[in-house]
Amino acid sequence: MTETVKGNDPGERGAQPEEVIRVEGLAKDFRPGFGLVRKRVLHGITFSVRRGEVFGFVGPNGAGKTTTLKVLMGLIHPQEGRATILGHDIRESAFRRHIGFLPENPYFYDYLTGREFLDFYARVSGVTKADRPARIERLLDDVGLTHAGSERLRGYSKGMLQRIGIAQAIVHDPEIVFLDEPMSGLDPIGRKEIRDLILRLNAEGKTIFMNTHILSDVEMVCHRVAILVKGRIRWVGGAADFREADGGGADVVLSRVPPDIVAAMEDAFGTGFRGQGDRIEVRVPEKRLPDLLRLSLDGGAEVVSVTPHRQSLESLFVDTVHDAEALDPTAVEESR
Amino acid sequence: MISPGRVSAIASNTFREAVRNRVLYALLFFGVLLIGVGIVVSSLSYVEGDRILQSVGLSSLRLFGAAIAIFVGVGLIHKEVDRRTIYTILSKPVSRTEFLLGKYLGLLVTIWLQVAIMAAAFVVVSLATGAPLDGGHAAAIGLAGIELAVVVAVATLFSSFTTPMLASLFTAGFYVVGHVTRDLRELGAASESAWVQQGTWLLHRALPDLESFNLTVQAIHQLEIRPDQVLLPLLYGVLTIGVLMAAASVIFERRDFR
Ligand SMILES: Nc1ncnc2c1ncn2[C@@H]1O[C@H](COP(=O)(O)OP(=O)(O)O)[C@@H](O)[C@H]1O
Ligand SMILES: [Mg+2]
Repeated sequence: MTETVKGNDPGERGAQPEEVIRVEGLAKDFRPGFGLVRKRVLHGITFSVRRGEVFGFVGPNGAGKTTTLKVLMGLIHPQEGRATILGHDIRESAFRRHIGFLPENPYFYDYLTGREFLDFYARVSGVTKADRPARIERLLDDVGLTHAGSERLRGYSKGMLQRIGIAQAIVHDPEIVFLDEPMSGLDPIGRKEIRDLILRLNAEGKTIFMNTHILSDVEMVCHRVAILVKGRIRWVGGAADFREADGGGADVVLSRVPPDIVAAMEDAFGTGFRGQGDRIEVRVPEKRLPDLLRLSLDGGAEVVSVTPHRQSLESLFVDTVHDAEALDPTAVEESR
Repeated sequence: MISPGRVSAIASNTFREAVRNRVLYALLFFGVLLIGVGIVVSSLSYVEGDRILQSVGLSSLRLFGAAIAIFVGVGLIHKEVDRRTIYTILSKPVSRTEFLLGKYLGLLVTIWLQVAIMAAAFVVVSLATGAPLDGGHAAAIGLAGIELAVVVAVATLFSSFTTPMLASLFTAGFYVVGHVTRDLRELGAASESAWVQQGTWLLHRALPDLESFNLTVQAIHQLEIRPDQVLLPLLYGVLTIGVLMAAASVIFERRDFR
C-alpha cells in the first residue's frame, strides 16, 4: 500500500493556499435520552482545509467525525465555536450551492429511478431545467450508472447506491465535496471505484473533505490528514509528513558479515543493530544508508535486502490514539 | 428568500411519497363508501331523505379528509429525518423553512386530491338520487378544503418536533377540540361561574375554531350563504395557517438532526 497520491497537489500551487474550510473551537454536546445530562462529543476542535486538497478526517468509531460533518452541513448546531465554508458562516444556506454532501450509510428515496433521483437533487440545487437532462446523463456516465438510470434505487447494490450518492453530491458542480465514510461497507472493487472517483473529482479541481476510519484508503487519496480522537484533534499534517515521520530510514538485512565488520557496525549503528552470525538486521536513517552499504560491501558482506521503512498512517494512528487515551482517559466526559 | 422552484421540487416529491401510502387508500375507500351508503340510509327515511344523504356525504368528506391529513401527514417529516434523507436535502441550498413549506404543500395537494375524489363521489350520489346541488354545496366543500389545510398545518407543526405517534394524537386532539370550543363557549356563557365563562371564552379565542369552516347545515337546507360566510372563514384559515407554519418554521430551524 505505497501507491503515491495522485491528482493535483495543492502544495505546489503557490505560497499561501486558500483555506476554504475553517473550523474554530467547535464544541458540541449531546443529550442522550431525556435527562439533563450532557455528553460533550466535540471539545473545541480547530482545523482548516485548503483549496484543492483531499483532506482526510480520520479517527476511530465514535470519535466525532460524523458530528463534525453534521455541524458543517448545518444539520446540528454547535454549543461553542464557529466555522466558515468558502468564507460563509455555516448557518447560512445560499452558499451551499457550492458544496455537496454524501452522508454516512445514506438512504435514498428508493421509489425513484436513478434519473428521477438526480433530477430531484438537481432541482433543489438550482440547476436550470434546460441544463438538467444533459447534466444528469453526464453524471450517470461519470459514476458508471448509465445502464441503471431507469432502474429504481430499490434495486441498486450498496456500491451503486454509494455512487449515485456521490452523483447527487456533485449534481450542481460544487467546489467542495464532503463525504462521510464513502468507502465503508464496500467490497474491494467498490472501494476502488469510489477511490478513483474521488481522485478524478480532485483532479477536476474540487476540494474533498472525507471522513474515514479506513487507513489504507486515506494513504492512497489524501493530501492532508487530521486525526480525531474522542472529540479532540490529536494530529494534523500532510500525507508526506507521516510517510517520512522518522526520516525515511531503511531496514537492511545482511548475511556472511565478517566478524571485524560486525564489530565496526556495532560501533557505528549500535542502537539499530540486531542479530548475529549469518544474519544481521540494521535499521538506519536515510542519511546513513550509503555508509552502511559501503561498509558492508567493502567488507565482503552480502546485502540480502534493503527495505525503506516508513511510519505508516496506521502506526501513527495507533500511537496517537494510545497517547490520547493515556493522556486523557475521560476524554468523553460528562459535563453539567 | 424562499425559492418557488425548490419548494415545488420538495412538494412534488412529497406528493409522490404520500400517494404511495396504503393508509391513504384505505381511508379514501371508507370515505367514498360512507358517501355511497348515504343512499341506503336516506331511502329508509321518507322525510328529508336528500338531507340525510347529503349530511352523511359532507360529514364523511370532512371527517375522512381530516383522518387522511392526520395519519398520512404526521409521518412524512419524521420519515425524512429518520431515514436521513433530510441530510442531503438540507446540505443543498434549501433552507429549513423551504423544506417545511414543500412538505406542507405536497401534503396539502395530496389531501385536496382526496377531497376532490370524495366530492366527485358526493356529486355522483346526489345526481343519482336526484338530490339538489348548487353553489351552497360547492361553498361547503370548498371551506372543508380550507379546514383541512388548517389541519395539515397543525400536523406539520406537531411533526416538526415530535414523533408521528404523538403528532397524530396531538393533531387528532386539536381537531376534536377545534370543533367543540364553540359549543363549550356557549355552554360556558350560560354558566354561573365567571371562571367557567372566561375560561371557555379564552379557549375558543385561543384555539382555531374549526366549526367556522362548517357550512354543512346551510348547504343541505339550501339556506342562502352570504359572501362573507365564505370569505371571512377563508381569511381566518389563511391567517391561521400562516401562524402555524411560522411557529413550525421557528421550531424546525432550531432542531438538531441526529
Ligand atoms: N444522536 C446522538 N445522541 C447522543 N450521542 C450521540 C449521537 N450521535 C452520536 N453520539 C455520540 O457522539 C460521539 C461521536 O459520534 P460520531 O460523530 O458519530 O462519531 P464517528 O463518526 O467519528 O464514528 C459518540 O460517542 C456517539 O456515541
Ligand atoms: Mg461516523
